[in-house]
Amino acid sequence: MTEIVADRVPVARRTARRGLRHLIRTQPLGVVALALIALFVLAAVLAPVLAPFDPVAQHRESFQEPPSAQFLMGTDDLGRDIFSRVLYGARTSLLVSVATLTAGGIIGIVIGVASGYFGGSALDTALQRVMDTLMAIPGIVLLLFVAALLGPSVRNTVIALSLLVIPSFNRVARGEMLRIREELYIESARASGCSTWRILRRHGLPNLLAPLLVVTSLLFAIVIIAESALSFLGIGTPPPTPSWGAMLSEGSRYMEIAPWMVVFPGGILTVAVLAFNLLGDALRDFFDPKQQIR
Amino acid sequence: MAEYVLRRALYGLLVVALVTIFVFLTLRLIPGDAVRLQLADAPGVSEEQVAALAAQLGLDQPLLTQLGTFVTDAARGDFGTSFQSQEPVTALIADRLPTTLQLGVMAMLVSVLLGVPLGLLSAARQNSWLDQGLRVVSVAGISVPNFWLGLLLVTYLALWFGWSPPLVYRTPGEDLGSNLVHMALPALALGVAGMAAIARMLRSALLEVLRSPFVRTVRAKGASETRVFVHAVRNSLVPVFTLVGLQVGAILGGTVILESIFGIPGMGMLIFESVQLRDYPVVLGCVVVYGAVFVLVNLVVDLLYGVIDPRIRYA
Amino acid sequence: MSSVAEPAATPVPATDQDVLAVRDLVKHFPITRGLLRRTVGHVRAVDGVSFSVGPGETVGLVGESGSGKSTVARLVLRLLDPTSGSIRFEGRELTGMGARELRPLRRRMQIVFQDPVSSFDPRMTVFSVISEPLEAQGGTDARANRRRAGELLELVGLSASDLDKYPHQFSGGQAQRIGIARALATDPRLLVCDEAVSALDVSVQAQVLNLLRSLQRELGLSYLFIAHDLNVVRYVSDRICVMYLGEIVEQGPADELLSNPRHPYTRTLADAVATADPTVARLRGRRVVRGEIPSPSAPPPGCRFHTRCPSAFDPCRTTPPQPVAAGPGRIAACHLLTGEAAARG
Repeated sequence: MTEIVADRVPVARRTARRGLRHLIRTQPLGVVALALIALFVLAAVLAPVLAPFDPVAQHRESFQEPPSAQFLMGTDDLGRDIFSRVLYGARTSLLVSVATLTAGGIIGIVIGVASGYFGGSALDTALQRVMDTLMAIPGIVLLLFVAALLGPSVRNTVIALSLLVIPSFNRVARGEMLRIREELYIESARASGCSTWRILRRHGLPNLLAPLLVVTSLLFAIVIIAESALSFLGIGTPPPTPSWGAMLSEGSRYMEIAPWMVVFPGGILTVAVLAFNLLGDALRDFFDPKQQIR
Repeated sequence: MAEYVLRRALYGLLVVALVTIFVFLTLRLIPGDAVRLQLADAPGVSEEQVAALAAQLGLDQPLLTQLGTFVTDAARGDFGTSFQSQEPVTALIADRLPTTLQLGVMAMLVSVLLGVPLGLLSAARQNSWLDQGLRVVSVAGISVPNFWLGLLLVTYLALWFGWSPPLVYRTPGEDLGSNLVHMALPALALGVAGMAAIARMLRSALLEVLRSPFVRTVRAKGASETRVFVHAVRNSLVPVFTLVGLQVGAILGGTVILESIFGIPGMGMLIFESVQLRDYPVVLGCVVVYGAVFVLVNLVVDLLYGVIDPRIRYA
Repeated sequence: MSSVAEPAATPVPATDQDVLAVRDLVKHFPITRGLLRRTVGHVRAVDGVSFSVGPGETVGLVGESGSGKSTVARLVLRLLDPTSGSIRFEGRELTGMGARELRPLRRRMQIVFQDPVSSFDPRMTVFSVISEPLEAQGGTDARANRRRAGELLELVGLSASDLDKYPHQFSGGQAQRIGIARALATDPRLLVCDEAVSALDVSVQAQVLNLLRSLQRELGLSYLFIAHDLNVVRYVSDRICVMYLGEIVEQGPADELLSNPRHPYTRTLADAVATADPTVARLRGRRVVRGEIPSPSAPPPGCRFHTRCPSAFDPCRTTPPQPVAAGPGRIAACHLLTGEAAARG
């Protein structure tokens, strides 16, 4: 009541702005992570502009050259510029992870929300049996199995990785939904005559948003690693498309003579993963400072 | 309690059965009969052999009959015969499984034996430079891809110390020393993520407990700070324990890559080679066995909860 | 228990004009255990309850926590499905109605919860909270909804300029006014107040109760007013139903029921509040009935109150008492009364 001027600003916008300032002050690591992710996205989107060379062009006169002013991260066994390939690798990585998290996220969230809202029903039981089945198979094994059946391609990598993230989205969405459906405001909405669909849309999803943002960020990290692992094993993104995993696999044969072939792609991969892990942590603390356990 | 164990065990069996059905159906629902494709692709196989093999494998039967046969055979531990080596899949897996389990257990030991002390240290010296440093190491630890870490370890140990792991894998029975040396690096590379996760979890769980009213009560009763800490540690082990159960999946999956990097003939190598050769009976068998190991370990973790936390009564 | 469910044994007055008429309402929650989720018992939360609410009338439902009064509220609004019995609202049978059929009726019957803030989605502004029932009933014109929400806020004594604030920015009493505004949004006929003032300070309680009374006069509302505090119930109610362990042990006009209680349980409650100083009464009220309320999953045999009744005698331990007429408009279920009635012949 005392801040008369501030009262004129719509409350929602004011809290959003205050929230941002609060975020910078309390989660400096989160802001660093956001900056790194922005860099990652920029590198991926602007790869054709930023890359000094064609990522598949072979420089015959310079095989496995160490980093220099001309080749910032050196060249590989075919004389290709590693820096350019790392930039294009970011593109592959981002494309695959965004596609995976979109597809897997939508499916997993729909399953989890439905399962949680109708918790204990036959639908819930059936869906959760399927999820338990997917979760019982270790990630890489599941990926190997699916990728092996479908053959290596970007699309099939996305399908395989989606199967990996669906149970995680499901678990978070279902758990939160089970909690939310016991909230008094759900009963209150039902008493007002809201339909199930309306309740899920107006109260279910929006209240799920915070935990889902956290899990999406952490799954980004997992998917980026998994995509590289698949390419590393030679069953992910097929050559000559540059991907970090494939670069590591090529480099692993020349570790002693050309360590930069492994050090740079792997280092960038680690930093990207680290950024998403840090962001996930920061988001979790931001949304719920009390509950830092999980 | 007995009923709880029984219920959990039955549920575990159900999940393994569902995994079996899942892999079988996925394989069969792939467009273009994958098994036939594989048979025809293999060099030096005649048309009659294809037909004979298909009949022998029961591929001329209806899908549900095939599924029934596959599941009942699998329940008896029979996953058929490898296309490649003509050996029973079960024998191949039995040969490789102990190696993978050894690697997994070693990696788990790395995780727990390093992760728990780091977590305790971090929490005991909260916000000191040591704590800050350990936290950075932890976040980095969960972010480093294990295969990259493995590659770096081999390379730089060789470059800087002139040391590299043995060229040929020896079983513990042949040469225990050589075996352990060979396994040490992959176990380390594989265990680092778990170590970091456990340290993080233990730190935050411990700090949470230290702030709780229960600890205030212990303090109010005049207990020494050391005793307070011991009390708190006991109470913060439950979430750590859950995490250990979850790590099993990650470590099992990780063995696949690290076995192939370090030339360890475990199940990971087997499934990886079989995938490349499209040796489907072996792939199916391996996926089911991986699932069974995961389910079994988590069942044990579940049952051990009661030992750590007496509040859990298996209602 | 089965004898209670006989329709003939419930001499509750009912007329066609009743806004709400509840007959022999039963809600049992199954207790399941084991591998196959077999039912091992029931929580008899509500066990044969009959009462009615007339137009413009306030009926108080009073009882200790665990007596089943909040379950009655949820059953009446069909937020829970009854095990058996009948609920008629404006002459229409609600039991057996599907969610789609019920939705338009929800416009006419609304609820005010004990804890207003937790009954609002924390992300919603006051405007969203109040307009949700309007939108749910098909009112999609945002401008009209906003005007209506503003009017409602003024009606409950707040200002239309509060529409863009969040409920947690208000005090408890103000938040409950918002809850009332939300409940009134669709112009209901019946308002179920479930412990609507129990979480508020005594001085604020009086303000909210007065608001409810003036709204009733203005809008011709009927209230089913549920509370554990007889002082509060007495202040607003025309008639009072006393609940104990899932059953109504006595009901009748508020003044008579309190000045001349016929059931021993009502008597202990009435004694507790019949002091001049409400603070003393509140303090004493907590401990007047001996012991704890028994578990509704294993109610005592015979009269459910006999374990704590000061005047229990042999039949109370074996036979459940039937509700009988106990004066004009009054009904009570007690063997002391049944004996009296029998003696009178």
